[in-house]
Amino acid sequence: MSMFTRNDKMPDANIDEAVRVRETPPVTAAPKPAQATAQPLPTAPAPRTTGVSVISKALKITGQLESTEDIRIDGEVDGDVRAVSVTVGSGAKVKGTVYGNAVELSGTIEGKIEAEKVVLTSSAHMSGDVIHQNIKIESGAFIAGNCRPEFGKTASASKSTATPMGLGAQTRPSEVSRA
Amino acid sequence: MSIPPLRTFRITPRDPNSAQLPSSHLGKALTAEGFLDTDGDLHIHGRVFGRICADRLVLGCGGYLEGDVVARDVQIGGRLTGRIFALSVTLDSSADVTGRIFHNEVTVAKGARVDARMPWRPPSYFESLKQLPEPRP
Repeated sequence: MSMFTRNDKMPDANIDEAVRVRETPPVTAAPKPAQATAQPLPTAPAPRTTGVSVISKALKITGQLESTEDIRIDGEVDGDVRAVSVTVGSGAKVKGTVYGNAVELSGTIEGKIEAEKVVLTSSAHMSGDVIHQNIKIESGAFIAGNCRPEFGKTASASKSTATPMGLGAQTRPSEVSRA
Repeated sequence: MSIPPLRTFRITPRDPNSAQLPSSHLGKALTAEGFLDTDGDLHIHGRVFGRICADRLVLGCGGYLEGDVVARDVQIGGRLTGRIFALSVTLDSSADVTGRIFHNEVTVAKGARVDARMPWRPPSYFESLKQLPEPRP
């Protein structure tokens, strides 16, 4: 309904204004603000699409997730997750393997983490193995499983996607030194 | 992986308090495969293969969905191949839909590509929807 009414009204309003302008030229100042308020309407419903995907706490996914950008999980995922950076929020639950360049866990993972950089916060609950190159474990984190560093495999597997992160880390100090 | 049971939505819109349920957003770069169930809103700009149950689904322009959708309110701006079961369906001008649209009320914007049957159903049909019908050619 709204779709049509909106599309139909727009030209109508313009025509009305055009007619009014023709009929009474001195009133041109009055219709202009009306036109200005009418124009933003069609553009308003297009929300800006951010690259980050958010699985909110109301969402349960049974299946696989794959992304070339970041994923934030606050809900439940029953399956594998593959992304550049995966953040598992507190209260979230993942059953399966989480692959990524960087994985931050505040919730629960039952399965495996394979990532270059792993952060387990104090509320993390990890049952399963963690394969990493760089790990940070805060006190309070729960791990039932093996933590083992694996340099060759994860690096070669995610080298192409890893370079932007490495570059980012390198540029930061140089920017600081310039400043 | 077992098929989760069909999660039916409420016919009446949620009260404003529960409307604060955070909406989920699947970005452009995301590909999801499987079953997506939520009580809240779901915005899809990426690719999804599978079944979606949500209160409100928005398939953004550029989004692609292959599978069935069960929701109270569906807004399509992208490509959809499959079936929609929803009280209220809105097809934007950028929509491209192939399949079947079971609806109680439907809006199709000028410019939308629709290659679908659109059977009307009373609200009670959606209320009693416990299992999706077998897909027919």
